[in-house]
Amino acid sequence: MAVHILGIRHHGPGSARNVKDFLEQLQPDIVLVEGPPEADDILQWASNVELKPPVAILCYQPDDPQRSYFYPFAEFSPEWQAIKYARRKNIHVRFMDLPISHQFAIEQEEKKEKDNAAEGPAAINNYSSSTTEEKENEEIEMHIDPMSHLAAAAGYEDGEKWWEHMFEHRHNNEEVFTAVQEAMQELREHFPKKDNRLEQLREAHMRKIIRQAEKEMYSNIAVICGAWHAPALLNMPVQKDNESLKGLAKVKVECTWIPWTYNRLSFYSGYGAGIASPGWYHHIWKHPTDDGTLWMAKVAKLFRGQQMDTSVAHVIEAVRLAGSLAALRHLSKAGLEELNEATLSVLCNGETVMMGLVQQALIVSDRIGEVPVDIPKPPLQVDIERTQKKLRLPATADWKDYTLDLRKENDLERSIFLHRVQLLDIKWGERENVAGKGTFKEQWRLQWDPASSIDIIEKGRYGNTTDIAATRYITELARKAATLRVVCELLEKCIPAELPDAIEILIQQINNLAAASGDVIQLMEVIPNLVNVSRYGNVRKTDAELVLGIINSMITRICISLPAASTGIDEEAAEQLLDLFFSMNDAVNVLQEEDITGQWQQTLLAIATGKFSAPVIAGYSNRLLADYKLLMGDELVNAFYYAMSSASAPALAAAWLEGFLKGSGTLLLLDNAIWSIINDWVKQLDEDTFKQVLPLLRRTFSNFSTAERRRLGEKVKTGGVAILVKTEIGFDEERAKTGIPVMLQLLGLKKS
Amino acid sequence: MSQTLRQHAEQLFAQELEELQKQDDDKRPANWKLSPQSVVQYLMGGKLKNGFEISPKYIGNKRLMEIAVATLTTDRALLLYGLPGTAKSWVSEHLAAAISGDSTLIVQGTAGTGEDSIRYGWNYARLLAEGPSLNALVETPIMRAMKEGCIARIEELTRIGADVQDALITILSEKSLPIPELNTEVQAVKGFNIIATANNRDKGVNELSSALKRRFNTVILPVPDSMDEEIDIVRRRVESFEKIMELPAEKPALEDIRRIVTIFRELRNGVTLDGKTKIKVPSGTLSTAEAISVVNNGLAMAAYFGDGQLKANDLAAGILGAVIKDPVQDKLVWQEYLETVVKPRDEWKDVYRACRDMSA
Repeated sequence: MAVHILGIRHHGPGSARNVKDFLEQLQPDIVLVEGPPEADDILQWASNVELKPPVAILCYQPDDPQRSYFYPFAEFSPEWQAIKYARRKNIHVRFMDLPISHQFAIEQEEKKEKDNAAEGPAAINNYSSSTTEEKENEEIEMHIDPMSHLAAAAGYEDGEKWWEHMFEHRHNNEEVFTAVQEAMQELREHFPKKDNRLEQLREAHMRKIIRQAEKEMYSNIAVICGAWHAPALLNMPVQKDNESLKGLAKVKVECTWIPWTYNRLSFYSGYGAGIASPGWYHHIWKHPTDDGTLWMAKVAKLFRGQQMDTSVAHVIEAVRLAGSLAALRHLSKAGLEELNEATLSVLCNGETVMMGLVQQALIVSDRIGEVPVDIPKPPLQVDIERTQKKLRLPATADWKDYTLDLRKENDLERSIFLHRVQLLDIKWGERENVAGKGTFKEQWRLQWDPASSIDIIEKGRYGNTTDIAATRYITELARKAATLRVVCELLEKCIPAELPDAIEILIQQINNLAAASGDVIQLMEVIPNLVNVSRYGNVRKTDAELVLGIINSMITRICISLPAASTGIDEEAAEQLLDLFFSMNDAVNVLQEEDITGQWQQTLLAIATGKFSAPVIAGYSNRLLADYKLLMGDELVNAFYYAMSSASAPALAAAWLEGFLKGSGTLLLLDNAIWSIINDWVKQLDEDTFKQVLPLLRRTFSNFSTAERRRLGEKVKTGGVAILVKTEIGFDEERAKTGIPVMLQLLGLKKS
Repeated sequence: MSQTLRQHAEQLFAQELEELQKQDDDKRPANWKLSPQSVVQYLMGGKLKNGFEISPKYIGNKRLMEIAVATLTTDRALLLYGLPGTAKSWVSEHLAAAISGDSTLIVQGTAGTGEDSIRYGWNYARLLAEGPSLNALVETPIMRAMKEGCIARIEELTRIGADVQDALITILSEKSLPIPELNTEVQAVKGFNIIATANNRDKGVNELSSALKRRFNTVILPVPDSMDEEIDIVRRRVESFEKIMELPAEKPALEDIRRIVTIFRELRNGVTLDGKTKIKVPSGTLSTAEAISVVNNGLAMAAYFGDGQLKANDLAAGILGAVIKDPVQDKLVWQEYLETVVKPRDEWKDVYRACRDMSA
């Protein structure tokens, strides 16, 4: 009976090659790999031709899917090679790490303890991979930190580089595993890590699985584990292991394969145990004997694709320089650093800009894995994949832009699907502003993040298809929502996603909330958005009637309580209300519903004539009525005189004026009657009163555009006449007449 | 002490080169005086096995020097590129000294540099008397370097007119220099290569043709990364200057150098060291080399017109000269800097006063 322990570095292509060669030489009858035992059942898929790395095993807790671990595998991962070997030779392969079910349970316990101990920072990890990160970070600390001591002893700057040159670049693998083991043994003795229960349990469980394999009479056992653990698996403290593993808490865990990307394997996406250069590792795994020529050729091809002239001579020189650099540094072969430096110096003329491209496209690379369609997957995921295929919206690792024309059947379906996915909080697409006008176009930028799998699983409990899941999810959110605004936002998002059931529920909810709400301001806040929603009815086949109905009833509510709400409020509140008036009026104009407009005008009239309305609002209401041509001529003049009469306090009169002139001074320019009223009013103010109202007047006038102010000034200078004459110079009446029919046609006053 | 104003690198550091040669057991390329590893060590400094201390010549990233040396072992020439005052010529001189033991084969590029200073010229008296012959030929440093298998240096390559630059193409790719008048050629001996320097700040430079560019590997020398690195450079260079010029002044305090470097770095980067205040950037480059000359200048002032101790007054003129290159714009920039950044710093009172008196 022999147990061979192969200490490796996760995702090290050199380790992978060594493992592969060693296994082929050893011919073991069972392979044990560091990984979650729960995933043993899905290991059979590893030999499926449709399963293409990079892939990851996803372990999650079905009742709390955000609690999850990812075990990523690239083609150059030693674990992957070991599994592939076992499947090829048809021998047993097993994972031997501490079951995830225990790990989750222990974490839960620890977290609870922590929460109890200190209420302070309750580190809630909303994002799926953060739990993984924590775990991997821990691992990194223990791996790298002690490793750097060995590296320093050998004269290397950091542990990664040292490992790379010592073990990854080594071609003859004889006894390399023994060497690793001895080195790690030494390290473990000198740098015993902190008393970490989880780590100890993991190693205890690894030992347990090895013993079990021995009991089952396997005679030639190969064990693949992280280098750090290797020495710990030699001794077998049977009793202690059994004791510590006894009675561990457990939770339910499920596993599946999901596609992974090289980008997520790299350090940059925040994945702890990541590697800096998956694309480069892929290259050296595929082409172990490449002296840099092939790599440089790839770089040159990339540059040529970017219209950067790169000759064959460049490539030759770059390879040579990389070779000389390697020789200068006493390396047997040019590594990525030498190749990068050669690229920079020879191909880029020393400019680092293009190196960013090399980094992104080659060193990291955007390769994405595939998993077979028939792998047991959560139904929602299956549905999403099926729809992606049907609508030709492939999941890609790099972003891609789509411009959808909603008048086309397929594009409309795509848009609906994308909106639904977005409603489910699955991070795939982002809607962007589209250039040009029209509501029939949508611009999306799509980029698939493998970690979305966990969101899909989480949302899977709402339903098995996107529409059902989205409907139920929205329903739940709507029920929980406390304010109208939240529900209205949901409604806004739901309309383009075509979820009639959800919309109905949302509208019900809006109705309930609107009825219950005594706060007219809250109602006014949501009206403009709802009006926007109802306009979608034109392009989308959604029935906007429902929304219109709700708007109707809400406006009625607003109209009833608004006059009361406009009285007895202080200046600040009035200002706030004034802005709402502004957008509310826009919304009413957009709707163009006679009923609603009529109601609105009645309300305005009530406020305008109300004795106790806040002056700024009363002024604005008067203006709006003037705009509607309901208040004209003498009536308007009278209203103005009334407000400006010397009986009212100057501050109130000025506030009224501010409301009246809000947004436009043009009225003042054009209507000489109003002009003279104001003019007279200002004239009759005595100096003290004038000084008092000056700031308010100034505030009103500063809202006007510069051009308006200038013309107002001109008007004052000329004594209130002849301001528009200038613009009429050179006015050709005959030419203007020819335009009239077109104008009438545009205004719909005359049929063509 | 020798009478020469400034000695060549190979003379100044003769002992270091000799010690390195003794210790050097790595493989040397043909006609190299040192192995590539030792050349890098000569540049970066360090302790030899026998305890002999090599002083660092280039303070900065070792990898850059490795790329430079490795380039010279291939058949591509080396182009050192960067802002003025980033030690391009300095590195080039020391590279030539370490590799060939001779840093004097140099062509200074100017707008007036003609082809005959790159290829060869004629001694017209001889030419008339004897007719075309090898005796009537005037060799250029480059031709000599080819014959002897040495490193030739070209300073300010981009200042040379484009048509003249291209005379280098044959030399660099064929490694030969044809002399059609005599129907012969000079073929380069092993060990020949060219180090050129060029700066990327000046306007009106002649960009290299892509054919020529292809014959060069480019190494961009950056301005020093960190404050400490820059202070170290200034300190070392000032000390060696003192030694050479035999100044009767005292060594400048580290604090003075720190202040100069701080001023230069802040103005160069357009932000104060603590990253809190934005500063306008003057038009000059404010390189490390200029900081060095400001300190040197101050030392000379202190030695001959002061009490031998470096004071803020001695430095002020130098700082002003380095910062204010444009009499109108830069002056405003400088005054703003002086009033907003220098004035509030308590321990900088003397600098502030000296500079203010100077600009008034």
